[in-house]
Amino acid sequence: MFGYVRPQKFELLVREYDEYRGVYCSLCKELGKRYGLAARLSLNYDCTFYAVLMLSVRKDGTAAFTKGRCCVNPLKKCYYCRRGGNGDIFADACALTVILTYYKLLDNIHDSGAVKKFLYGAVYPLAARKHKKAAAGFPEFEGIVSGAMETQAKIEKSDKPGIDLCAHPTAEMISRILEVSAGKLNTGESTARIFRSMGYNLGRWIYLIDAADDLESDIASGSFNPFAVKFSLGKKSGADEISAAKKYANGVLNMSLSQIAEAADLLGLNSLGSITRNVILKGLPQMQKELLFKKEKTNVGPI
Amino acid sequence: MSDPYRILGVPPGATDDEVKTAYRELAKKYHPDKYAGSPLADLAGEKMKEINEAYDTVMKERRSRGSSGGGYAGGSTYGYSQASNFSDVRSYVMSGRVADAEQILDGTPQERRDAEWYFLKATVLYKRGWLDEAYNDFSRACSMDPGNLEYRTAFNRVAGQRSGMYGGDDPNARRYGGCDGCDVCTSLCVANMCCNCCGNGYGC
Repeated sequence: MFGYVRPQKFELLVREYDEYRGVYCSLCKELGKRYGLAARLSLNYDCTFYAVLMLSVRKDGTAAFTKGRCCVNPLKKCYYCRRGGNGDIFADACALTVILTYYKLLDNIHDSGAVKKFLYGAVYPLAARKHKKAAAGFPEFEGIVSGAMETQAKIEKSDKPGIDLCAHPTAEMISRILEVSAGKLNTGESTARIFRSMGYNLGRWIYLIDAADDLESDIASGSFNPFAVKFSLGKKSGADEISAAKKYANGVLNMSLSQIAEAADLLGLNSLGSITRNVILKGLPQMQKELLFKKEKTNVGPI
Repeated sequence: MSDPYRILGVPPGATDDEVKTAYRELAKKYHPDKYAGSPLADLAGEKMKEINEAYDTVMKERRSRGSSGGGYAGGSTYGYSQASNFSDVRSYVMSGRVADAEQILDGTPQERRDAEWYFLKATVLYKRGWLDEAYNDFSRACSMDPGNLEYRTAFNRVAGQRSGMYGGDDPNARRYGGCDGCDVCTSLCVANMCCNCCGNGYGC
């Protein structure tokens, strides 16, 4: 579920790249400060995008950056986002990272085999402790995410659920998260509405690309996958059946993407908006192309 | 009203042609047809109105004799003139009461579910973001009543979205060289650079 929402690096301007890294590094630093060193390991691109999006709709001036050193490798120089007024955005992004990572870990423990179960189980107590702290400080986020996980589990147990129904809990989750965050930023009613629609389709996109990406492994392990259900794919299905399902998935993803782009066009974005637009118009389609149609995934490494 | 040049994204020194081009790009971006059926259609309409006003102001000021006109009309262009079996559903959809519309639709018995029913169901699903089922129902409405322009328009829009016309990845499109940036985006980048060359800092 993590790592799908990211910019297309070679289409970023150098300024934009530095700013993106700046937000990334700031989030890492804040995670360490708020939830301890180990929490830094849960840093991901999706929550970085959340921070970029929130920073790019701020009306009161744009984010300022300052030079510093990497907190993990002091030999490396990097940029940090100045805190002035952005502290709340990073606090929200950190809480989201910790809460989402916890539920992802729970899901992994539930889904994987004995060896991996043991490994995930080993980090569980730590993640649970951090999660408790984040959940206490941000009960709204916790409520949204835990609710979505419950609904998701129920839907996956039902008889032959459709693609839209399967994607609904994640879609609604991101939608609510963005709407709540817009409310905190006081950006006005229309931004909240745009975020609601954009979040719904972004969540949908994330759920569906994850499902399409995991299609083969889910079929092999017999795990639930909405595309396998729709096309009745099983262990005996041929490669052409799977690639037909992926092509179909691409069409469904394109539809969500066009809605995300429409919503983003309506947002009043400041100078960080070009990164937001890069993620939506280039990063996400690139991810679809890499994951659905290429045998070797060349552009999904670290940014 | 705020600075019309800022709204159009061109410096005040831009030529008439540049203003026109910028206006056309924006009008394409926020065109009511593109947002038809979207839950954000009204916001796009407001934006379109703002752009039209900015363009008219600029052109009026430049010609100082009457309005240039020629702006795209804002607002959605649904034609509901034909007799409808579901006029109540349509009025709910129009007024944004999607849940009520859906309740009536779901209560319609199977034998009364005609092309219009599928069209309206798809419209409701589309508004809710259930895009896959919306696509299937639009397609069904079209095949049940192939001559209906309203259904056809809606179907073409979602089919276009699906193929990656408005963002996304089209696996059938072959691109030149190693660069994947779609042509439209690349040319926009170039256009943006040209804008920046003017040095007035009106980054689009």
